[in-house]
Amino acid sequence: MTMIPQMPKSWRLESKPHKFCPGCGHGLVLKALGEAIDELGIQDKVVFGADIGCSLLAWDFFNVDTVQTHHGRTTPVVTGVKRANPDVICIAYMGDGGGYAIGSQHLVNAAARNERITAILVNNCNYAMTGGQMAPTTLPGMKTETTPYGRDVRESGYPTQGPEMVAAITREGSYVARGTVANLKQLKGFLKKALQNQMDGNGFSFVEALSTCPTNWRTNAKDTWAFVEKEMTKFFNVGELKNPAAKEGE
Amino acid sequence: MAEKPIQGEKRVFMTGNEVVAWAALAAKAEIMYGYPITPQNEIMHYWTRLAPKFGKRFLQTEDELSAGFTTLGGVLAGRKAFTATAGPGNTLMQEPMSMAEMMRIPSVVIIQQRGGPSTATVIYSQQEVTMTTYGGNGEGLRVVYSTANHQELFDYTIKAFNTAWKYRFPTFVLGDGYQAKMRESLTIYDPEEKGLEFVPTETFLGKAPVNGVKQPVHLRNTYNTEEELYEVITRYMEEYLKVAPEIIEHREFSCEDADIVVVSHGVVSRAAKVAVQELREEGLKIGYFRPVTLRPFPAEELKKVAARAKTLLLVESAFGQMAKLVKDAIFGSTVALENLFKPGVGITSEEIVVRVKEIEKGALAK
Amino acid sequence: MFGVVPVSERIVEAYIGEYASGKSEIAVNRAVDLKKEGRYVTLVDLDLVEPFYTLRPIKRQLTETGIYVVAWETSETMGLGEAGSLIKPEMRWVLRRPGDIILDIGYGVEGAKVLNLIEGAADNKNLQVFVVLNIGRPMTDNVKDIVEYVKELGIVHGLINNSHLGDDTSVDFVQQGAKVITEAALVLGLPVIATYIDRKFEFEINSKMDIKGNPIRLLDRYMTNTFW
Repeated sequence: MTMIPQMPKSWRLESKPHKFCPGCGHGLVLKALGEAIDELGIQDKVVFGADIGCSLLAWDFFNVDTVQTHHGRTTPVVTGVKRANPDVICIAYMGDGGGYAIGSQHLVNAAARNERITAILVNNCNYAMTGGQMAPTTLPGMKTETTPYGRDVRESGYPTQGPEMVAAITREGSYVARGTVANLKQLKGFLKKALQNQMDGNGFSFVEALSTCPTNWRTNAKDTWAFVEKEMTKFFNVGELKNPAAKEGE
Repeated sequence: MAEKPIQGEKRVFMTGNEVVAWAALAAKAEIMYGYPITPQNEIMHYWTRLAPKFGKRFLQTEDELSAGFTTLGGVLAGRKAFTATAGPGNTLMQEPMSMAEMMRIPSVVIIQQRGGPSTATVIYSQQEVTMTTYGGNGEGLRVVYSTANHQELFDYTIKAFNTAWKYRFPTFVLGDGYQAKMRESLTIYDPEEKGLEFVPTETFLGKAPVNGVKQPVHLRNTYNTEEELYEVITRYMEEYLKVAPEIIEHREFSCEDADIVVVSHGVVSRAAKVAVQELREEGLKIGYFRPVTLRPFPAEELKKVAARAKTLLLVESAFGQMAKLVKDAIFGSTVALENLFKPGVGITSEEIVVRVKEIEKGALAK
Repeated sequence: MFGVVPVSERIVEAYIGEYASGKSEIAVNRAVDLKKEGRYVTLVDLDLVEPFYTLRPIKRQLTETGIYVVAWETSETMGLGEAGSLIKPEMRWVLRRPGDIILDIGYGVEGAKVLNLIEGAADNKNLQVFVVLNIGRPMTDNVKDIVEYVKELGIVHGLINNSHLGDDTSVDFVQQGAKVITEAALVLGLPVIATYIDRKFEFEINSKMDIKGNPIRLLDRYMTNTFW
């Protein structure tokens, strides 16, 4: 008897096993996203944009139309698609740099215009693909290749709290949440709601996912989970910030 | 905290990116602004490690647009400021560098070319020549040095600061991914101990009052009428052309009696040098010409060479970006032009030798 | 498998050090030397910043000598535009392999912490971590800086003198490195495992020990066939 792996239907078999590092949170986020796409039955309507960085490795991950963009430009490309063809379900997938550094102006403006897209940001506190430089979400004191002595908040500020910023900008109809790979069931729930929000034509949907990067954190399995579950949550609260469906008494 | 990063001179073994960081220290650069992009990240990694030891500053910005504009800010504040980037980051850098051209801001930028366009590869190419020499929405009033080895990366990064502050045109050191990551020995030194004088900086913004009187400045990059703009640009261009002979650098050998002259720049010129030497040993009349400044281009020098040669063989890891500069420089010349274009790929001396012999054969057949 | 020694006797060595200090060249040479002694050896490329540019280009050449090389294959890198930090799953479990294991650990601010990514590294009784030093590298060219640098790395068992200036190397320079590094080793309370020198200097140096009595090991250049 052949064992069929429990993979989401929307996953592309030919690109598995995937290229993410062992222990990387991307694999988990994309699994939750794949299941969300399956359960909502939207596989044929999805356009998936990947950013530069580790998110780039998701470019052949799904059996959906995917486009590689430039660093930080996933949001505008996907916005352009949605504006031209409102029938597709547009997903902008990026890392902390693509959303909060080089892509921040696009994120802020897409939120302000209430673009009917779903942006998913994977937060692992560093620029992993390029070798572990500081990211907007790097924690205070954390050593990275551009903060070799530890991040000094007096010099570079505190870690960016993206969902809070987006929630402050958007008006009615937007869905904003922060999930974590430490609670995949909850994360999948958030992703489903974020996609449903787009399908309902309500407004901008944004989900940040706290994620792991043992490669650049140089942590073993135990310490990796401790970091995402205990350290990162000191600066990033997990939960829903805005949910239009909830207002309707759902 | 050590007084000077480099005392006297010493022979060391380094990668190109590190050389840039050390050269900037040697040049007394005070602040670096930057954003991560392969293959120049180690410039930042080393600068941030060394900075606290020598009282230097650093800011990782949100992107390359910001890295460029913050660098302009640092320069306007009267500091020796610099940044570095590559590929798509260089594309973004054109906006701030346009401002530098218009406002004559002495910025220094190191570019480590990678494959293009778009993300392409993170490895190597010579495909950012057009962009670095003429990018932005202006006339390309810039200085661009194309280095070929680590000693030059060191020497020209130091020189870039002097060139920028003396002539007040944005100055670039154009390297590439191979130079960035290759390991080579070189001699690092304290420029002042070698008798090199640093051109002093000037504070444009935030200058302290003099004798209790503050004279505010109003810096602009917009103009109201076409005539105004025409006058400004014409004046800049005249100045640029006037100082160009002082800035232009090139290397050449064996061109006096050469039938074919191999023209190349940057790291490819190393292969060209070996190829030309080999061919000469075989008795073939081949010459070597290498522009070191791509902008301003050594036009007069190349025209002289083109006048005597039968053919110029243009060799680059791009599809004719250096060739365009060559054609512009020698317009009117009747010399034949041949190419060896390999965008994004390194070129070996063997390949150049084969190509030269092909051309020779073709010439004989005629 | 031929040449597999009992677990208790196996050699497990991790080579760490400054960027471009020569870790990969030393690791490759060590693997080749052990193979020549008839031992079963695995060589692991743990360069996490430039994973496709260190051992991958010479993987085939090494594999043909009988060394098992854990590094990416060129064909596996298709479609990866930004080639950056990527650890191959096989690398995490490499200590489960039989025989000798040589680990080439790439650079990074966290020094030896990369070993956290290898299952079982923390408890491995045979694991020796060696710091490769080249006094031709400005940040490790004097006793004070070397001591400061090594202290930051975490658990280290020995120093290796790989002082050289690329094509400009001289025997004098290597011996100078031996002096500086041996002095630093004394301060740190660590042994100097060996001084590596290019095989082309074998007759010039004419000794099995360097000027400070450390063993000399001859080095063949493999890394010139790789990217950088």
